[in-house]
Amino acid sequence: MAQTRIAEDGGLTSAERRGLFLEGARQALTGPAYFVAVALIGVGGLAKAAGFPPAAAFLSTLLIWAGPAQVLFFGAIAAKTALPAVAVTITLSSVRLMPMVLSILPMLRAPGTSRRSLFFATHFVAVTVWAESLRRLPDIDREKRLPFFFGFAIACIVMTAIFTQAGYYLTEALPTPLAVGILFLTPVYFLSTLVRAARAPVDWLAMAFGLALAPVTQAWVGGGFDLLALGLVGGTAAYVCGRFVTARRAEQAS
Amino acid sequence: MNLAVQDGGLAPYLILVLFGFLPSEVWRWISFFVARGVNEGSELFIYARTVSSVLMVGVVGKLIFSPVGALAGVPLAARLGALAIGFAVFLLARRSVLAAVLGGEAAIVAAGWWWGN
Repeated sequence: MAQTRIAEDGGLTSAERRGLFLEGARQALTGPAYFVAVALIGVGGLAKAAGFPPAAAFLSTLLIWAGPAQVLFFGAIAAKTALPAVAVTITLSSVRLMPMVLSILPMLRAPGTSRRSLFFATHFVAVTVWAESLRRLPDIDREKRLPFFFGFAIACIVMTAIFTQAGYYLTEALPTPLAVGILFLTPVYFLSTLVRAARAPVDWLAMAFGLALAPVTQAWVGGGFDLLALGLVGGTAAYVCGRFVTARRAEQAS
Repeated sequence: MNLAVQDGGLAPYLILVLFGFLPSEVWRWISFFVARGVNEGSELFIYARTVSSVLMVGVVGKLIFSPVGALAGVPLAARLGALAIGFAVFLLARRSVLAAVLGGEAAIVAAGWWWGN
């Protein structure tokens, strides 16, 4: 019995796991948790505009935990969109969570990791946690990643829920320069995180293709499908070119 | 079934769960089962990461080139300039994301003050 417990926990003692959890939370609180929290302040204001009770702002972050989906949800309801149509829009915008989960779960899996913990972990994967995990997890021993991940992700989600709630009460009062700063946080933070996390040629190619193709898909693909098209077309092109570059390098090296 | 946020009571929460949480969360559940066969470093893993990265760049592009709200009041040149300043600070500060964010933010808040008043 005692042995199975240890195996399930990846061979770490509970003190070690607590330490890793706290280290994850500490790293999140050196920046990322605040960036995503501030970026979602506006969601609280939208929840209020859509006529939701205060707790719905907080809960939307805990439950949905995907900024664009939350903005769409409250924005569409404020605009009196039919509920089934709201659900379709949310589903479309959240397809992008799929490649994120697919590129995080394999890093979190270690021999003996319980499937229940991994399933629970999927809920926390959203753009901030995804980008930061991509950069931080490779430097951590495999069996230590999951507790670190939970500490990091839970610090982000709780901090963000608190800020979403604050946004419910104070959005209208923000002076212009501050409102501008909040809206700019997402692009500047995500772009620098992507650059920081880039390792292989394919990562740089992804950025180049994304930048080059974004205006094209935005002009040619409508109905909320443009990001999806961009991800598939640009992602496939970057992937193929990346393989080509890697193969060429391997050839030159040999 | 006629649900409306204005009904009060549990209705807003039910709407949040049924039309907000579930349509989004279902992708995380599907991915969990798909991910079983995917290993770190495998081609599908690299492909998924690449698609995510392109999507993120696309989101950033949208926010910069067709912004909403107060950010739309700042000219495009200033938005791009603030990104460039953020990037310069990033390089100067030995690839620090925090420095990049603070540098870019300082620039855009200044721009918002200049063009917003």
